[in-house]
Amino acid sequence: MGLGCGKKSPEARWRIAFSQCTTTEPWRVLFNARLRAEAAKHPEVKLIIADAQDKTANQVAQMENFIRQRVDAILISPKESAGLTDVVAQAYDAGIPVIVLDRGVNTDKYTCFIGADNMEIGRAAGEYAVELLGGKGRAKGNIVEIWGGMGSTPAQERHAGFQHVIDNEPGIKTVVGRQDGDWKQDRAYNIMETALKAHPKIDLVYAHNDPMAFGAYLAAQDAGRAQQIKFIGIDGIPEEGCKWVAEGILAGTFLYPTPGEEGLRVALKVLRGEKVPKRITLPTARITKANVAQFLPAAQ
Amino acid sequence: MSRKQQLLGLVGRLKLYLGLAALLAVGIAVSPVAADGTNVFLSPDNLADVLRQVSNNGILAVGMTMVILIAGIDLSVGTVMALGSTLTAMLLTLRGWSTAAYVTVPTCALVVGSATGAAVWRLSTKWRAARVVTALMAGLLAGGLAVAWLAPQTSTGFSVLAVLVAVPCVTLLLGTLSGLIIAKGRLQPFIVTLAMMIAALGSARLIAGKDHSVYQVYIGPDGATPAFQLLRARIGGILPVPGFVFLLCVAIASFALRNLRFGRYLYAIGGNEEAARLSGINVERIKTATYAISGLLAGLTGVLYCAQYRQGKPDAGTGMELDAIAAVVIGGTSLMGGRGSVVGTLVGVFIFGLLNNILQLRNVDYNVQLVFKGVIIIAAVLLQEGRLGEWFRHLFRGHRPAHR
Repeated sequence: MGLGCGKKSPEARWRIAFSQCTTTEPWRVLFNARLRAEAAKHPEVKLIIADAQDKTANQVAQMENFIRQRVDAILISPKESAGLTDVVAQAYDAGIPVIVLDRGVNTDKYTCFIGADNMEIGRAAGEYAVELLGGKGRAKGNIVEIWGGMGSTPAQERHAGFQHVIDNEPGIKTVVGRQDGDWKQDRAYNIMETALKAHPKIDLVYAHNDPMAFGAYLAAQDAGRAQQIKFIGIDGIPEEGCKWVAEGILAGTFLYPTPGEEGLRVALKVLRGEKVPKRITLPTARITKANVAQFLPAAQ
Repeated sequence: MSRKQQLLGLVGRLKLYLGLAALLAVGIAVSPVAADGTNVFLSPDNLADVLRQVSNNGILAVGMTMVILIAGIDLSVGTVMALGSTLTAMLLTLRGWSTAAYVTVPTCALVVGSATGAAVWRLSTKWRAARVVTALMAGLLAGGLAVAWLAPQTSTGFSVLAVLVAVPCVTLLLGTLSGLIIAKGRLQPFIVTLAMMIAALGSARLIAGKDHSVYQVYIGPDGATPAFQLLRARIGGILPVPGFVFLLCVAIASFALRNLRFGRYLYAIGGNEEAARLSGINVERIKTATYAISGLLAGLTGVLYCAQYRQGKPDAGTGMELDAIAAVVIGGTSLMGGRGSVVGTLVGVFIFGLLNNILQLRNVDYNVQLVFKGVIIIAAVLLQEGRLGEWFRHLFRGHRPAHR
C-alpha cells in the first residue's frame, strides 16, 4: 500500500485509515464507496481501507497495525463491541483520533461516535405500518415480522422500536413468531412461503432489511397474494430498497445512512484542531413512492 | 429363514423410514387447521412447498452421497452452488452476446456431451438401457447446442438453455479439478475441497462485484425471461420444477448406484480402496468422476436457486455443505464410506424439511427450532442405526448390543 516509505507526499498531508468489519454486504459496499467518494474531495487526505473479513481478530490486528504505522486518524466500524474495545482505547491512548462508526464500543476512550439509531428507525417503521393499516388508534391487521440476524443488536433494536409502537394498537396482531431471516432474501422467501399457508389473512410484512422484504414479496407474488399485502423494509440503498419502492414492490423503506462521509469530515475537523461532539446521530428518512426519486442512483 | 428373522429383516429395512413416519405423524397431529377444516400441513400446496424448499439441499446431498460413499467429502458444494447462481444471474442480465460467449457455450456443451456419453457408454456394457440414455443425452445436448447457437436473445442476455448448459459446465470443470487433485495428487479431499470452497467464494464475489456496487445480481421480480421462469413453475400446478429435478437426480443416482458398474465401483472403493485398485478398478478415474458429478449438481442447483430467488448471491451457499453432509449421514450413509444409499439421503433431506415446516407452521420461536433440530438429528440417527431397538433387546434379554 506504499505505507512503508513513511514519507507524505506534499498534497496528501494526512493518512486516515479505516478498518471496515466486512465488505460483502451491500450496505458495507455502499459505505466504502461513499467514504472513498468523500475522500476524493479532499486532496490532502490519503485514505487506507482495510477489510477485516467479518472476523474480530483480523480487525484487532488491523488496528494494531495502524497504531504502529502512526497514521494521523483512524476510522473503525467494529464487528462487535467486546473484542474491539481494548484496541480502540489503545489507539486513543496513543494519541490518534479514533472515530467509531455504526456500532459502538464499551469505553469512553474514543474521539467521536457516528451512527444511526436503529431503535428510532424501528419506531419510524412502526408508525408507517400503523398509518398503512388505518391510522393511529384505528389500525387493524395481521403483521408478519421477519427478523435479521437474531443475535445482532441492529435486529433487536429494529424489532424493539417497531414493537413499541405496535403495542399501542390493539387492532394489530403479529401472526408469526420470531423468525430469523438472517438478512437474506432466500431465507425470507421460505419463511413467507410457509406463513402464507398458515395464515389466510396477512396485511403487512415488516422485514428488518430490504432484501428480506423483497424476498417476502416474491413469495407472496408466487402465491398470487402480493397485491393484498404491504411490504416495509429498512436500509434504503439506491440499487435495492429505493429501486423496489420506485417499482411499487415495497410500500416503503427507511434510510439507514452510511456514516463514512461524516466520519471522514469529523476526522478532518479533529486534525485541524476544531472541537467535535462525542456523539453524532445520523437521521433516518421515510422513503415512499412520493419522495423516492431523490434517493435513486441517478439523483446520487 | 424363520418367520421371526424375516420380520426382523423387514423391520431392518423399514427403520430408515421410522424417523420420517414419526415426523409425518407429528406434523399431521400438530398442524394448524384452516378455516374450511382442512389440515394445513397435509395440504398438497404445503407439501409441494416442502419439496421445493428441500430441493436445493437435496440435489447437493445426492452428489455428496456419492462422494461420501468413496470415503471422501466435498466441502465446496455450497459456494460452488452460489458461484453457479451468480454466474446464472450475470449471464441472464448480460446485454448483448460477445463473440466469446458464442464460442464458449457450444464448446462447453460439446465437451461435456461427448464426455458424458463416452463415460456412460464405457461403464455400462451390461445395460442396454444406459446406451439408450447415452444416445438421448447426446441428442439433447445437440439440441441444446443448436438452440443456444441459433436463438440467442441479443437484447436480454443468454438464452435459458445456454445458461443451463454453460453454468453446470463451469462447475463440472471445477469439480473435475478438485477430483483430479485428490485422485492424482493423492491429497486429502477435506483440504482440497476446502480450498475449492474458498476459491469459489472469491470468484463469485469477483464477478458479482465487478459491474455492481452491491454483492448481488438481481434478475428482477419477474425473474428474467418467461422461459427462465419455467424453472420455478409447478408441473401440473402442484409439482415444483426444482423438486422434480431433485427427485429425478435421486432416481438416476439410485439407478446408477444399484445397477451400473460405476455405482458398484463406488461401494468397492469406499469399502477398501486398495482392494478395489488390486481388483482392476481405475480408482483415480472413478474418484475424479465422482467429484465432477458433485460439481455438476452444485452448478445445476445454482441455476435453480437463481430462478427461485431471482438473485445470484456469492455467499448464499455458505454453510450449505454442512446441511448436505447432515442429510447424507441422517440418511444412513457412513462417513467412513462404502455403506449407504441415495434413497436414505432422500429421507434425511425430508426429515430436515418436514421438521422446518412443522415448526414454522406452529410459529415456534427460531431459537427453539434450533434446539428441536439438534434433538431430532440425534433421534433420527439413533432410530436408523437401530441402536434403540438393540438397546431395548439388550435390556430385556441381556444380549450385548452389536457394534458396527
